[in-house]
Amino acid sequence: MTSELMTSAITLTAVTKAYSAAAPAALQGVNLDILPGTSTAIVGPSGSGKSTILRIIAGLEDANGGRVRLAGRDVTALLPEERGIAMVFQRPLLFPHLTVLDNVAFADRAAGLSRAQARERAREHLELVHMAEFGGRSPNSLSGGQQQRVAVARALAAKPSVLLLDEPFSALDSGLKDEMHAMIGDIRAAVNPTILFVTHDRDEASALAERIVVLQNGQLLQHDTVDHVFHRPASLAVARLLGGKNAFAGVLEDGVHHSAIGAVAIDAHFSSGPATLVFRHEAVTASLRLSDSRADVSALTARHTDAAACHRLGPRELHGVVTAAVQRGPRRELLVRVGDADVHTEAAPGNLLSIGDPVSVNLPCEALWTVPA
Amino acid sequence: MTLSTSNVDVERAQREQHERRMPGDAGRPLSQSRGVMRTARIVSTALVALWFALPFLPLVLWSFANSWSAPDLLPMSVGTDGLTAAIANGAVAAFGDSLLLSLIVAAIATPVGAMAARALSRHRLPFGRLVSVLLFSPVLLPPFAAVLGINVVLLRAWVPPELGVTLVLVVVAIPYTTFSMRVAYAAYDDGFDEAARTLGATSRFALWRIHLPLIAPALARSAFLAFLVGWSDYLVTLVVGGGQLVTLPLIIASSASGIGNESSVAVLSLSAVIPPLILLGFVSRARNLNPGRQ
Repeated sequence: MTSELMTSAITLTAVTKAYSAAAPAALQGVNLDILPGTSTAIVGPSGSGKSTILRIIAGLEDANGGRVRLAGRDVTALLPEERGIAMVFQRPLLFPHLTVLDNVAFADRAAGLSRAQARERAREHLELVHMAEFGGRSPNSLSGGQQQRVAVARALAAKPSVLLLDEPFSALDSGLKDEMHAMIGDIRAAVNPTILFVTHDRDEASALAERIVVLQNGQLLQHDTVDHVFHRPASLAVARLLGGKNAFAGVLEDGVHHSAIGAVAIDAHFSSGPATLVFRHEAVTASLRLSDSRADVSALTARHTDAAACHRLGPRELHGVVTAAVQRGPRRELLVRVGDADVHTEAAPGNLLSIGDPVSVNLPCEALWTVPA
Repeated sequence: MTLSTSNVDVERAQREQHERRMPGDAGRPLSQSRGVMRTARIVSTALVALWFALPFLPLVLWSFANSWSAPDLLPMSVGTDGLTAAIANGAVAAFGDSLLLSLIVAAIATPVGAMAARALSRHRLPFGRLVSVLLFSPVLLPPFAAVLGINVVLLRAWVPPELGVTLVLVVVAIPYTTFSMRVAYAAYDDGFDEAARTLGATSRFALWRIHLPLIAPALARSAFLAFLVGWSDYLVTLVVGGGQLVTLPLIIASSASGIGNESSVAVLSLSAVIPPLILLGFVSRARNLNPGRQ
């Protein structure tokens, strides 16, 4: 137990927070372990307690209960400046009365370094975020993206063991966001800090993090790899929060799930009983069914065999009719009526499908998962 | 991928920052007057300016008038008799006392007001509303009633008159400093302090390096108001000071009650008007001061 605590960069134990007695708890007994050098995203709907976790780790809010440990050290009772963290906020919050360089030099000045030393080190950090030539400027003269770069450099200059980012790029347009994501990649390659960041953007979470923490109503629903939270959600709530559109309540019997879309064999060791079948709409594709123009609602080629042998079953196909189609950039999202149920899919490349087309939906074995009903 | 940003982008950002206007900002179509209303605006502005400036004209003329009687439109002889008479009346000492008193009042009332404003705007205080009302009571109460009562209390408590005047004037000034600092704190972003603390700054370091520089313009405005309370006071200095503390307004009043010394009264009045105007100049400059701007 102790050795586990020593290796974690951040450990939260039963952390509880309520802003007032009347309001529902912002955090309810959250346990969390973050390994050093990793990047972890916290996602969840607004009001789920995402920012509260960061603020409690930073020491900007007191937890009502539980402990916060950073690199094994209990910091629950310490002030923010004693914790060895740095935080980047949604707004850049650059000090307007200091130059860009002196903003970045602030942490070293606070630590007691001379102005010259602090500025020298600040220049290195500005270079890290490709803002070296802006040192002499006022923060007010920079664009929003540039200001946020400086804010990141300023935080890194504090040499934090943990870098906390509270929706730092949410105010930027998508092109700038991509630049920022590349910059975070550069920073990780150069100094490899432990990063914990809050975002409401699922794409950003998966672009920047190896692991995702899913929060809802102050409760931690799942903490897992990016792939797992998307494709192996712990609950229907997680699947929904991460944008999963397909969920079919039913019963699992001997590795085969029975629901409104029919019987589907699952390649996983689930115990029999009520279960909800989930799969990402991005992971399944629909193509035009030329052999049969009539939608056959009961036709289902998923054959009932040994669950563990999912891969040997061959393609699982659902037959249905397109009832809605939306083009999203290069991708075409479809709603396909299968039996009494609607299945969200994407059109296979080259299939210009539209409403009324009979289609077969291919369900890859890896995409299928069940969560407790 | 090019991550560095060119100067062109910066210039564009600066231009946008400059050009960005919010609804209601000056220069928007909705806030521009046209036609008859434009004429009315210009005329009314001129009238108000005249209303404010006109009284100063005879004051300036009188200051340098050795003799000026009706029906002459301008002084008959010009000189420094008024100045000499004012100095002989103790104007220099009174000016010094007024300045010292006002500066002390400002030095005490400004930090107290700032702290009160911060507490009222940032913390959930027990009976916060009541505290707000109490803070404003010195403005609401008739000054005569309050000062005459306090006068007796201070005399009985053997409080020296100079200290008594300062204490009472600070109380009178605190509502003004508190109010002006509350306005400032309503616009202040606590995120700056939080950012400083997460960067390793102690509360003291963050206060001196971040918080105070950022609220400095508001503190200057607040101090200016407190200074004016001390500088323009007549009643408290007269009643509580009991003649021990002779400030500029007291000398002006006593001179003005006499006959034939209009010129010396004018000199005294001008010397009472000029220091606040100079301070106002500094305060309005402080608002635009941004040391970070290159």
